[in-house]
Order: sequence, then C-alpha cells, then structure tokens
Amino acid sequence: MTVVAKAARSHTKTDEEPTASEALGTFGRYAGPATLIVCSLAEGEKHGYALTKDIEAFAGVRLAPGTLYEALSRLEGQGLIEALASSDRRRPYRLTATGAAALRVHLATQRRVADLGLRRLAGSWGTA
Amino acid sequence: MKTTSDDAGRRAERLLRWYPKSWRARYGEEFAELLTSELSERPESWRRTVDVAWSGTVARLTSAGLTSHPLDPSEQVQASLACLGCTLAVFIAFGAAMWAQLTIGWQWAPPDAIGTTAAMVVMSSVMFVFVALALLAAVPIAGSVLAPMVHRKAQGLIRPTILFLGGAALLIIGSRHFGNGWPGTGGHHWAHQGLVPGGVAAFLWASTLSVSSYWAHPGALLGFPAAEVAWMIVSPLAIVSIAVGATKILRRVEVSPRVLRYEGKLARVAAGAMAVFLVGSCCWIVDGGSGPRDLFHAGAIDVAGLAMMTGASVVAHRAARIARRAGLHLVAG
Repeated sequence: MTVVAKAARSHTKTDEEPTASEALGTFGRYAGPATLIVCSLAEGEKHGYALTKDIEAFAGVRLAPGTLYEALSRLEGQGLIEALASSDRRRPYRLTATGAAALRVHLATQRRVADLGLRRLAGSWGTA
Repeated sequence: MKTTSDDAGRRAERLLRWYPKSWRARYGEEFAELLTSELSERPESWRRTVDVAWSGTVARLTSAGLTSHPLDPSEQVQASLACLGCTLAVFIAFGAAMWAQLTIGWQWAPPDAIGTTAAMVVMSSVMFVFVALALLAAVPIAGSVLAPMVHRKAQGLIRPTILFLGGAALLIIGSRHFGNGWPGTGGHHWAHQGLVPGGVAAFLWASTLSVSSYWAHPGALLGFPAAEVAWMIVSPLAIVSIAVGATKILRRVEVSPRVLRYEGKLARVAAGAMAVFLVGSCCWIVDGGSGPRDLFHAGAIDVAGLAMMTGASVVAHRAARIARRAGLHLVAG
C-alpha cells in the first residue's frame, strides 16, 4: 500500500471530512500559505521566523505573522504538521507522515495543471 | 533606558491581544517572539497590523465555534452550541419583548388584521417550542453538572452555575414583582381573553421591559418610577448573567459524544424555530396594522428588534451547521 493510500485510510471518511490527500485543498484562503509552509518543512523542522525567511527566499513571498500562524494552527489541527518541544520561546514545527503524503499528492496535482497549461500555451502561442 | 527590543516586545504584546485567551495559551509565546523579530526588522507596517487584527478576529470566531477551522470535534460542538446559546438569548430577549407587546394588546382586544392574528399564533407556538427545547436541552446538561458537584470535582463549573442561577433568580423575582404591578394585566376583568394567560403576558412584559424606545427619550424616562427605571437597567444584566453562565457551563462541562449529538440536534431545531418566529414577526410588521385602539402598533423599536433577531438567527444557523458537521466527525472518531 502506498504512503498516500495509508494516509488516506488513516482518516475515517464522513460525508464532509476530507481525506489526507485532499487536506491542503480545503484550506480556503490559507491553501497558498499552507502549501508554502509544508514545502518549507519538507526540508526539515523550522520555527516561525525561520519559516518566514525560508519561504521568502524560495517563493519570493513574505508571509505576514497572522497568516503564518493561522495556517500553522490549521495544519497542526489536521495533523499535517506537529510542534516539537523547545527550551526557548521559539517552537519548531515538523512535517508528519500524513503531511508529507498530502503535500506529495497536492504538488502532483499542481504539476499536472502546470504541465497541461504549458502544453496548451506551446500549442497556441509557441514556445518562448 | 528604553531599547528598541523592549519597544518591539511591548508592541508584540499589544498585538497579541487581538487573539482569544485559549489561542494565546497555545501559541502566544512563540507568536510574540515572531512578532518581536518582525517588529525589530520592520518597525512600521500597517499591512502586518491589519493581518494580525484579521487573524485574531478569525481566531476569536473559531473559539466561538463560528468557523469551520478543524478544532477537536468535541470542543467544536461545545463551542458552536455555546455560541448558539448566546445568539438564542439575544433572539429570545427581543422576540419575547415583541411577543409580550402583542399578548398584552390581545388582553384588551383581539387583533382585527389577519397578519397580526397569524403572527400571534406562529410566535406563540414557537415560544412554546423554545420552552420545550430549553427543558429538553437542560436535563442532560444539568445531570452532567450535578454529578461532578456531588463528587466535589466541579471546580470550573461552580462559578458559572452560580452566575446562571443568580441571573435566573433575579429575573424571575423581578419580573414577577413588576409584572404584578402592571395595570394592563393586573387582574382586570378583561384579562385571560388572549392566546396566553395574562400572568404569562405580564411576566414577559416585565422581563423584557428594557427593550424599549424610551431609552431614546430620556425626558419621558425620567417620569417613570425610579424602581422601574432601575429594573430596566438590572434586568438586561440578569439576562446577560444567564447567557454567560450557560455558555461557560456548556464550554466546560464534560459530556459524552451521544449527549453532544443530542444537543446538536436540538440546536438545529432551535435554529429552525428562530426562522419560523422571524416569519411570524415579519407578518405582523408588514401586514398587521395598528389594530383596535392602536394596541398592535409596530414602532421603531420593533423594527430594530427584528433586525437584531435576523442577525442573531443568521449567526445561530451558522453555529448549528458547524455543530452538526463536528458532530459527524465525533461519531466517525
């Protein structure tokens, strides 16, 4: 059984509950920030400020503190990330197995959309 | 000597106040640390302030059970039910004032407009439903509150219970006192000819005396007996005590998933009943007319009450929907 399938089975599905693989798509206006956060955490554990800096470096987007923590609390609530114990005031977060599975599915979908868009652009407008 | 770091720390603490206490307990320290770093790096940013204010408001709505943010399902149901309880208190305060006005009028003469008659039948039926729902909802919660009290394990429940019972006692005693003094239903020979007994009409009139347009006319208000004006100030406080006490009990009491689902179902019925009551009150205001001797005249306070009830009903429907969704998760879990 694949990691994605395992993760999907780990949630009992009701009529309105998303599976782990759908989880990132259910964040509404926080879907973008949530995706950036899990992408950043895919590299390793980070605290809030390190996340802001990393996301700014790789995506050119500076997440505002309120948005960052709203997305973090939602991700934590869905079990996609987890907080680690810390001796100082800055608490690091890391990706869970469920979060990794959800990110993989989400990015594969994004890639399919991107590939399709590029193919259609090339067909109608030629390559740049 | 004041340093930039101290200043940033103080500003971070101020921004943190946008968030509810429960959120601050979980994320407050690390969030303040991030804000302090941000403020030291970029001292001025109105976008950051707006972002924190917005996110804090969302966190407060979440804490009130009004967003679909994935809280623990049990916590979510309790938060949504507590929120619905608060909106129901606002709705019933304004609805009862409106209904009491009509029942008092009917004590003197029946309405001559079909809109008012239909409204009275609908509103009276819904009031009966509200009482039945309150009793049905209270029984399992009362049991869950009493059990830990008997075993002396109800530390967080004692104060809200006192608040609730104190508010209820004050409202009942005061409403009985001022209701008995009301000349319109105080035992005159026309009494008991309406849809409901005169005593009920008088009690509700007295308990909602504060919902009055006299607040906009201080000169006329000064002509009232001092005790009545004092009651107009005290009675809303009693209603607030009841609502706050009930809300805190609902948030803190430990109940089984089965009871939560049961309460969730009652909440949906209550939200539906609110909508039906709104239809009834709209019937009166739109189609009712003033009736004999201007007894059923709808004034500005009634229109304002209708607006408040509509707002409360919208919030209650959302809370009931979220409670239902969380209840499904509860069963699945």
